[in-house]
Amino acid sequence: MSTGVPADVRERARTHRAAPAPRRAGTWAAYRGELVKLAALLRTRATLAAVLVLPPLVVLLLRGQRAPADTLFGRHVHDSGFAVPLLLLGFATQYVFPLLTSVVAGDVFAGEDQHGTWKTLLTRSVSRTQVFWAKTFAAVTFAAAVLVVLTASSTVASVLLVGHQPLTGLSGQEVPAGRAALLVVGAWASTAFPLLGFTALAVLLSVRTRNPALGVVGPVVLGLLMSLVGSLGGTGWLRRALLSTPLEAWHGLFTATPFSGPLVQGAVVSLLWTALCLAAAHRSLRRRDITGG
Amino acid sequence: MTHSPAVRAEGLTKRYGPLTAVDAISVEVAEGEVYGILGPNGAGKTTFLRMLFGLIRPDAGVLEVFGRTWARDGTATLDGVSGFIESPRFYPYLSGRRNLQLLAGLDGGVPAGRVEEVLDVVDLTGREAEKVAGYSFGMRQRLGVAASLLREPRLLVLDEPANGLDPAGIRDMRALVGRLAASGLTVLLSSHDMDEVEQICDNVTIMKQGSVAYHGTIADLRRQAPPQAHLLTTSDDRAAVALAAGRPQLSVTASQGGLAVRGTQPAVDFYVSTLVRAGLAIRSLTLGEAPLEALFFLLTETGPESGPDPATAVAAAPTAGGGRA
Repeated sequence: MSTGVPADVRERARTHRAAPAPRRAGTWAAYRGELVKLAALLRTRATLAAVLVLPPLVVLLLRGQRAPADTLFGRHVHDSGFAVPLLLLGFATQYVFPLLTSVVAGDVFAGEDQHGTWKTLLTRSVSRTQVFWAKTFAAVTFAAAVLVVLTASSTVASVLLVGHQPLTGLSGQEVPAGRAALLVVGAWASTAFPLLGFTALAVLLSVRTRNPALGVVGPVVLGLLMSLVGSLGGTGWLRRALLSTPLEAWHGLFTATPFSGPLVQGAVVSLLWTALCLAAAHRSLRRRDITGG
Repeated sequence: MTHSPAVRAEGLTKRYGPLTAVDAISVEVAEGEVYGILGPNGAGKTTFLRMLFGLIRPDAGVLEVFGRTWARDGTATLDGVSGFIESPRFYPYLSGRRNLQLLAGLDGGVPAGRVEEVLDVVDLTGREAEKVAGYSFGMRQRLGVAASLLREPRLLVLDEPANGLDPAGIRDMRALVGRLAASGLTVLLSSHDMDEVEQICDNVTIMKQGSVAYHGTIADLRRQAPPQAHLLTTSDDRAAVALAAGRPQLSVTASQGGLAVRGTQPAVDFYVSTLVRAGLAIRSLTLGEAPLEALFFLLTETGPESGPDPATAVAAAPTAGGGRA
């Protein structure tokens, strides 16, 4: 029981201005807050600036050099401006994409641990689930922004600096410029699903490890391991289940008879990875005791 | 019309493996009260507040905030509740104002201009555009209070608000909490500083190793406190102790290389003059720990080296050790 409440205390309580009826903020407000934080981070801005500036620099660099004939579309980089973005895409799928997405996704939860701000966030009017989705959406937004900027930057720079000549496809067929442009954009867009999967993987590592460095580096290492495992012989079923495999599914778009099976399969696998990683991350955050951070 | 208390905990328990951090405590904070949770480090104060804010889940017991519970009401439990646990933390790469705007966005319904208002309340106007990374500890504490006031709370929870502050910062923080309390806000203040709680609070719960060691009003606590202690050194302490024998209003015990003398002021005066008349030289006579501080240590310390003085322990025992606050 409370001990007797003195009259002056009762009077103070009576005269205290009543708080206005609470209006809950929700996931959208939390999402906007996450975007504000991302926009203020040097790392985020530097990454976006890099994906905007580096592709034109690479195109310029390639112009003065012999074509890298041992890489996909490498031998055509001086013949068509549509070959360069595909060369860059092939390179990006190795480990650049996992790194670019995890720059934010790997830190978005662990950063709160690093700054000790979980208590600051969770003592406001937002639930853990709302915070979880706000952060996840922010990480996905960043991944999408990176993909869009990288696609635009590499394609526009290549077409402007090399030209919009027809593209030579993987079967040796000639692809007219208009169709080649569409296919290039489609190829980049096809990586959206595996990028979503890598974002979810980085989110999971960020939540579980509470360590930004592990959250950022983890997906890169895992992506490389998956590529390694996928390159081994006799791992057909395993290869199909790996998150790195859908990153190469766009190859089928550039054959004489295009095939989309790997794209569909890759999308399904990526969505499964996304669902599993996010479910595990959400469960972990919901059940966690916030003590230190 | 009945009002739910601001906070009601009943049999609240939290365990971490074999350690019981909070052991079946019961606390009730009425609306409008300034309530102190006092205890040494590790007593379970912060664990209790973490449960209040839903940061950790209790293993047993009931915890209601304005009649709402986390299990039933979720985040709505914190409607009208604000504060900070341990040191308030902010995003160092954002300015003070941007941090507050971000938190106001998370609360929803914070009126325009409120950020400037609360910055003014905590005397941070003029520094609000600076990044928090450059703030002093005291400025961050004040920013923590500002963040707590954004949604005009009915219950303000402050965990050791003066912790780590310099004397001027402590004075300012106490004055600020005093002003807020005077406005009718219910304040739940956790501290390990008896002096701070005595100055600000109406009621107090003293915790020790996860349990309630004392609950009552500050006025009651003052009544139960032992008399002011004096530390005395003489030319012959053994003889001085012998001269205190047979004086019921006086307690003289060995302490810290001298003698601890407790008693009413006239009794102490008379005793000192007796020593002088007996030919003993008074080498020093200084004030010892304050009465409430002495009672706090008595209630919260255990073990042979810090055990209570038997005489005062008898005086304090009937009011201490209750399981319910």
